Amino acid sequence: MNAHTSHPRLRRAGLYALIVVILAMVIVPFGWMVLSSFKTPAEIRGLTDSWLPEGLYLGNYQGLQDTSFVTYFVNSIVIAVGTTALSIIIAVLAGYGLARFNFVGNRMLLIAIVTMQMFPAVLLAVPLYKMLSAAQLLDTRGGLVVVYITFALPFCIWMLRNYFLTVPVEVEEAALIDGCNRLTALWRVLLPPTMPAVAAAAAFCVIQVWEEFLYANTFIDSDELRPLSVGLNSLIGQYSTDWGRLMASGVLMVIPVVLIFAFLQRYLTQLAGGSVKG
Amino acid sequence: MTLTTPVRDTTSQSPAQRHHTPLRRRLTPLAFVGPAVVVLVIMLAYPVGNAIWTSFNYEVATAPGEGEFAGLGNFRNIFGDSDFVGASIRSSLWVLGNLVLQIVLGLVIASVLNQRLRARAVIRSVVIIPWVVPTVVVAIMWRFLLDPSSGPLNDILISTGVVSDPPLWLADTTLAFPMLTLISVWKWTPFVAVILLAGLQSVPDEVREAALIDGASTFQRFRYVIMPHIHTSIAMSSVLTIAYSINNFAGIWLFTRGGPAGSTETLTTLAYRYAFQAFDFGRASAVAVILFAFVFLVSCVYFYLVEGRRR
Repeated sequence: MNAHTSHPRLRRAGLYALIVVILAMVIVPFGWMVLSSFKTPAEIRGLTDSWLPEGLYLGNYQGLQDTSFVTYFVNSIVIAVGTTALSIIIAVLAGYGLARFNFVGNRMLLIAIVTMQMFPAVLLAVPLYKMLSAAQLLDTRGGLVVVYITFALPFCIWMLRNYFLTVPVEVEEAALIDGCNRLTALWRVLLPPTMPAVAAAAAFCVIQVWEEFLYANTFIDSDELRPLSVGLNSLIGQYSTDWGRLMASGVLMVIPVVLIFAFLQRYLTQLAGGSVKG
Repeated sequence: MTLTTPVRDTTSQSPAQRHHTPLRRRLTPLAFVGPAVVVLVIMLAYPVGNAIWTSFNYEVATAPGEGEFAGLGNFRNIFGDSDFVGASIRSSLWVLGNLVLQIVLGLVIASVLNQRLRARAVIRSVVIIPWVVPTVVVAIMWRFLLDPSSGPLNDILISTGVVSDPPLWLADTTLAFPMLTLISVWKWTPFVAVILLAGLQSVPDEVREAALIDGASTFQRFRYVIMPHIHTSIAMSSVLTIAYSINNFAGIWLFTRGGPAGSTETLTTLAYRYAFQAFDFGRASAVAVILFAFVFLVSCVYFYLVEGRRR
């Protein structure tokens, strides 16, 4: 189909058909999950003729109170807050250091940071298991935070360093001349304009914690300490036929991520291409 | 001054800085980068070294006499293990399937998103959703949709008469692996599309229009106008897709745990099984080291490309 022989209108129609297909691929599965979370057990089993729920049945959501769902949710929040706070503090310092000083191994360090994103998680599972065990951190939320910081750090450092590079050195020099030391200059002068990047990095940390399954599944044993990723999986085992309740748990777990993501929209390309950008 | 030099020399000449001793000035950068280095060395560099060392030792957590040096014993063992051979083949197919489908579909989606459209921002946001939704939710959702008895897909297929015997999907030894590949493609293609979209947006409109006016065909425009601008984006997203997909554990474990009958077992789930079900740390590390070597090679390609683009 050559551009000069095809009808622009036909092309346009084809384009919109393609968009509909692409959107349907996303909306239909998720829409079905949301709809099903409001269906009665009978409706889910297809005993009624309609594909839509009769009314807004909230039993699936109420039913989650009988499960450990709330505990899992709280655990995920605790782990996410801990990971994010510590990662950001360490990453702000490191990002600033890398942006403002030339190290002998500066370039190597950046290469190392990006490579770390590609490490097989399963390679580190055994040594980290042994280390956490030795430090008595196995089966604790703190242990998981320590592990997660390691995985959130490289990206946060990378992102913040790139952002610090865009802040003119003059701004900071003025503060240094006024008698601030570098730390106060960083805190008072450099950090405020960098807040968007800090917020984006923080959001990235939360999304990572929400997603991570391998380590949480390996290092946490007690049901009452499980984060959502592992907890929801154990709900599948316990309520394998109660799909409505499982869909409700899925919907609730997605809400925070979607909210954060709505905020992250602006940084999307940076997020996806974060490791790609020099 | 050998260790560090300020990015701008004016900083070091400012009056406030003059009282700094050279030693202190040399240590300042280290104070900033130090905490990150400490965390990464303890929690990343040391474990990597430890894992490699473990792969050369017989180390079974539940058995006595652990820590005996094995040389290449673990590697010999796994190469003689039919589970490992099968998992290697499946891992290769997994990476290949994910790579080809994600790049092709990613290109299609990116091209669509790059058109002048009404509500482009909204469409883009919707398309990205699968990527940000946690794998465990994706698993719950697809396990429901594909459930052989109560899932809607089989309902539709049966009521429309497309099939008479409901397929078992994830519980079927031949269907499970392709289904998992498709679900993985479904989740990760948006990520590839976003990277490729950034590449497409770097093609100047004038160049594109000039080619159109000159009467270049769709294929010619893609090959000679668009490709040169996005080939690095394609290379980057390929490398990331290879690394992410070969390491993908949750994308398999949360759906099938490598089953049914080992039909979705990849190197990642096999290493996990060796480590935390058989507690054979030596053997698990040997598998993980092989994975690591592969990802390391891929990373080398990645940096070759990053550097290549800089020049």
